[in-house]
Amino acid sequence: MYKYVFKRIYQLIIVFFLFLVTSYVLFDSIPGNAFQNLLLNPELPPEAYEQVIKLYGLDKPLTERVFLYIGNFFQGDFGYSYKHYPRTPIDLIAERLPRTLMLFAMVNIVAFYTGFLIGKILAWRRGSKSETWITVTSVFSYTIFYPWFALMMLWFFGYKLDWLPIGKFLYPEKWYDAPYDSDVIFVSMIKFTAVVSILQILVYIFTRNIESLNLRRNARFAGFMVLTIASLFYWNSGDLLIQKPYAMDIAYHMILPIFTVTVVAFAGTALLTRTTMMEVMKDDFILTARAKGLSQRRIRDRHAARNALLPVVTSFIFTIVTIIDGSVLTETIFSWPGMGQLILQAVLEEDIPVAMASFSFIGIFALIAHFIADISYAYLDPRIRIQSQG
Amino acid sequence: MSNQKDIAKKIRREALKKNWRLFKRSKLGMIGLYIVIFFLFLSILQPILFITGVWNKGVYDPVVGYSEQFQEFLVVECPKEYPTEKYKKRSDCPGRTEVNIRTLFYSDAQVGETIIQNLQPAPPSSKHILGTDSLGRDVFSQIMEGSQVAFVLGLLSATLGVGISTILGTIAAFFGGKIDAYLMRQSDLILMLPTLPLLFIISAFAELQVWHLAVVLGTIGGLGGSVITIKSQALQVKVKPFVDSARITGGSRMNILFSHVLPNVAPLALLFMVFSVTGAIASESVLSFLGLLNIDMSWGLMIYLAQVEGFIFSGMKFWWLILPAGLSVTFLTGGFYLVGRGLDEVFNPRLRDR
Repeated sequence: MYKYVFKRIYQLIIVFFLFLVTSYVLFDSIPGNAFQNLLLNPELPPEAYEQVIKLYGLDKPLTERVFLYIGNFFQGDFGYSYKHYPRTPIDLIAERLPRTLMLFAMVNIVAFYTGFLIGKILAWRRGSKSETWITVTSVFSYTIFYPWFALMMLWFFGYKLDWLPIGKFLYPEKWYDAPYDSDVIFVSMIKFTAVVSILQILVYIFTRNIESLNLRRNARFAGFMVLTIASLFYWNSGDLLIQKPYAMDIAYHMILPIFTVTVVAFAGTALLTRTTMMEVMKDDFILTARAKGLSQRRIRDRHAARNALLPVVTSFIFTIVTIIDGSVLTETIFSWPGMGQLILQAVLEEDIPVAMASFSFIGIFALIAHFIADISYAYLDPRIRIQSQG
Repeated sequence: MSNQKDIAKKIRREALKKNWRLFKRSKLGMIGLYIVIFFLFLSILQPILFITGVWNKGVYDPVVGYSEQFQEFLVVECPKEYPTEKYKKRSDCPGRTEVNIRTLFYSDAQVGETIIQNLQPAPPSSKHILGTDSLGRDVFSQIMEGSQVAFVLGLLSATLGVGISTILGTIAAFFGGKIDAYLMRQSDLILMLPTLPLLFIISAFAELQVWHLAVVLGTIGGLGGSVITIKSQALQVKVKPFVDSARITGGSRMNILFSHVLPNVAPLALLFMVFSVTGAIASESVLSFLGLLNIDMSWGLMIYLAQVEGFIFSGMKFWWLILPAGLSVTFLTGGFYLVGRGLDEVFNPRLRDR
């Protein structure tokens, strides 16, 4: 196992260096030297100009520049943004990242869970009429043209019914005399959500081995209620009481994007779960379980679904990579100022330092996700573990 | 010798028939096939209509055509306060066949008179099945052009991508060692690159046309995750007894690779191809939707135009600008997806209902 982990780390480091080189060459091949852009910007002081020349070594040949870039990367030095001059790309990313994480972590968890439940039922009811209809619906929402769908949702819920706000992540008029920055609120919201989801998962793990299905369901419901009441108390205490209205404002703005992305994203998990479930159900141990006379629900939840979970979990970890990828569209349409909008605007406005920094940042993100996916797969699937030892 | 060839042909025909029977059993797969055939028909129909002269190119051309739609309008004065008897909301005035006198700068008409005016975007009529857009271009013709773009792009990029990934995957499985390690690291790298931002960057330094985009998407798709899947399939084929017997009877490496391993990987490759068409069409629409492509007309561009011209939030008043393009993308990708699922049930023995 350790040997396997070290081998993967070694390979991923090589891949990461390749990634850095590739991304540099890609940005380098954008025509129109970044400096012409710089010179045209009257707000930029000459020191910044000199500094950027020194930083990127733009008077040097390509190979030297690549090495310089990698060196600068590991020092966390990306220079200054052209468009938001005194700010560094790292600063911008640190500001934008919590917003994206908050939105998409929620979406992914909700979509994954509903998708798994629906896929489980789909595979179980193979051949029935309800299966066809649910499949058609999920295929429709899986292949629907996302920007168009999001715009339609905006029109329907934001404009026609006027239930939810149309864009942005807060009402500026509410925040005029706010004692906190919006980022502070975001960070405390992220902390809260993370703790609650971890506790919820713990409740699931601890109730996993309760034999009676009814008792298990009641225990889970009780755990959920306790968590809800505890979080109500938490938000009504001390410092957080002042933060609460602002957090509520952000949460109100999050409803529509979360709902829209979930409708689109659950279908992928559902369809994948369906396929793997159907493969598992052909296995002999399901037949054995049936012969033993276990109830249908027990076979479905305990025997089939658990074995089908493996590829689904891996795909879930891989979706961490697509968080930022998919966020570009969502954030553009809902004008949610996060990472996706940052990278799109940086590329369109040729704000190369910011584009490079965010691109590399996504790379690191993807690298870590891949590593976790590999290791968890090896951990969950004994065949890979044994192979790597031999 | 010729007898042997005949037998081989017969076996192939029988296998094809059997697979077709299996495919026909999955209802959703057949629905998908019908959808794909419908859009194929649309894309072929447009050039035929132009050549036979049923459609005049000056009127129906999807990019530069112009259609005059004169209509009588009643000149009204919109009230300042709502609701009134006639109008419930501010957005109800002027109605579809009315014009507000305050916005009428080029005519001396008085309230209550009728004037003849060019109406764009015009609602669906017998001349234009799906109406016209704000520049007087026929929407139905645009949909047809869009489906041509979608088919060219989808099939080209899928063929290219699957070609690359099949060859690389089998090579990785067959030769192993350093080549394998290199190819796998390469796929890791491609999987790491975020697709959409990568396409933004590429569109920043190259003016992407349809076939450029097809090549880019095909290459990215072909070097990425599909190599890993096809490699694992080829590894399973490689240890089958018939490969060993071919080796014992003196088949060369290339011979074994091309006449034994590749044909057995082909079904999976076909499956990948169908699924990657879906991805290619969606990517094209997304890029045109963001206005990053150098394309005359496509479904994504139609939605982009409807959005920047502000018709999306006018609701269903201008439905022919909003619904057809979005639904076309959805249905065609959905159709390909369903076909892929049907094929999956044919080729994947574990999903087969027997």
